[in-house]
Amino acid sequence: MSDITVTVVRKPMERRGVAWLASFLRAEVLLLLPFLFFLGLFEVYPLINMAIRSLFDTNGTFTFQNYINVFTKPQFRLAIRNSILFASAASLVGGIVGTFVAALAVRLPSRWRNFLLSLYALPMTLSGLVVAFAFIVLLGRNGVLNLIVRRAFDLPPTVYFNLYDWPGIVMVYAFFQIPLMTLSMAAVFENLDPSLIEAARNLGARPWQVWRYVVIPVLLPGFLAGMSIQFAGMMGAFGTVLALVGMAKNLLSLQIYSHASESTYNLPQAGALAVVLISITGFALALLSWGARRLARRGT
Amino acid sequence: MIRWILFVFLVLYIVVPMLMPVIFSFSLFWQDILPQGFTLRWYEAILTRPANYEALLVSLTVASSAVLLNVLITVPAAYALNRMTSKWGQRLREAAMILPLIFPPLVVGTALLQAFTRPPLALTGTLWMVIIAHTILGFPFMFRIVLAAFQTIDERTLSEAAASLGANLWQRMRYVLIPNVLPGILSGALLVFAISMGEFEVTSMVAGFTAQTLPLRLFQQIRNDMRVASAITAFLIYVSFLSFMLMSYLGARMRRLRAL
Repeated sequence: MSDITVTVVRKPMERRGVAWLASFLRAEVLLLLPFLFFLGLFEVYPLINMAIRSLFDTNGTFTFQNYINVFTKPQFRLAIRNSILFASAASLVGGIVGTFVAALAVRLPSRWRNFLLSLYALPMTLSGLVVAFAFIVLLGRNGVLNLIVRRAFDLPPTVYFNLYDWPGIVMVYAFFQIPLMTLSMAAVFENLDPSLIEAARNLGARPWQVWRYVVIPVLLPGFLAGMSIQFAGMMGAFGTVLALVGMAKNLLSLQIYSHASESTYNLPQAGALAVVLISITGFALALLSWGARRLARRGT
Repeated sequence: MIRWILFVFLVLYIVVPMLMPVIFSFSLFWQDILPQGFTLRWYEAILTRPANYEALLVSLTVASSAVLLNVLITVPAAYALNRMTSKWGQRLREAAMILPLIFPPLVVGTALLQAFTRPPLALTGTLWMVIIAHTILGFPFMFRIVLAAFQTIDERTLSEAAASLGANLWQRMRYVLIPNVLPGILSGALLVFAISMGEFEVTSMVAGFTAQTLPLRLFQQIRNDMRVASAITAFLIYVSFLSFMLMSYLGARMRRLRAL
């Protein structure tokens, strides 16, 4: 009697196991394999390897020294501070201006909107060097715009817009950041149903109430998602700065670059700096997505 | 009215900086407000100076290989992930979008640099490493576009309809899926190509002296010879511009096909 119950219980279990295995070996999963293999070997493994190696010194002895350095050496502390400030400033400039550009774009006739949005997709593929070069010609010490302004107001050659300081660097990066934000916010604005606003107005909502309870709750998740992309991108950016000022500015990204491939070659240190950079970016992304979720809940 | 003034200003904001290297590259010299003379000499320097010409060839090789690898890896993956309806499929799709944000090119470069220094995979400093790095950088862009293409054609319904009419897997691929997704794949390929042609940051970390790409050459020339630098810069702008022209053509074609 007991034997029968055992087989009755066991059979569906076995079948479920086989079905599970079969579903796992479906063609779709096989199609994923090259992708998983490539990403595993050339992205996941190197990242884990880098994190492990950052815990050893150049002789191969286990140490936390690389991480202690990051938080005690003045040059690294300054780099972290500068990077967070720079990434925040550049993201805010890109985020706010980009949102306004998107708001304008969706109000244009569709032909011109498509033209503007295609044009604003162009910087995405441009090399940081190309943009650096363009702005050196335009706004460098003897750049065209500086010359025009100097001639027009009869100013001495000591007066110029300084491309090679923080405001200048933020302005050059805005050339990447504004279009990026424009593209993501244009999609968000298109989802904003005008009839919602009208309905709110018809129900007697004041303009600030329309913004507070209708427009902002719809836009904010997209805005914060866009800001995440901006901030993450700016934390890792260094090509354009390198072309503009070399190593004269102290950024976390530049420190990693210089420890990984220039004179101050020290790969475990570069790895530790990279792990810190990932942590900062990850924390900022988590914070932004937490904020978006909280606001979405309150908005409804 | 204000709207159109702003529109013109916004167009100029992108166009004027992009025109600077182009004008620079065609002029004999540009010391004052207006450039002087017309010449093709700086473009000639790309083709006639061996270091520049070789860099051009390396860039073209790397970009084409990165595109090819991305098509082979990403298209099947996007197809498979689009069909996964489970929670895992959703999670994998999200991860593929977020990963590149958390691990920026700089970090991937630092990691790649130290992962493959010893045999059997002593790739650091070789052309292979540059190709692999560019493939990794291009994949999120490719993945997003191809996944969107599979989603907009509603691949599952189409395939089921074709299967119910008796089409086998090969026929479904040949006559239903590939013709419908091809514009998406081509758009992704163009985007990856353009990004790879201009990529400087990771390349400068993982490339040795054997794999000097055009942007690496440009970085040296910005310090040495602004004229040749302007021609390389202008060339990279043309590559981006042409890719985008083709992509918007493909996008328009896709919209038209869907409207039919």
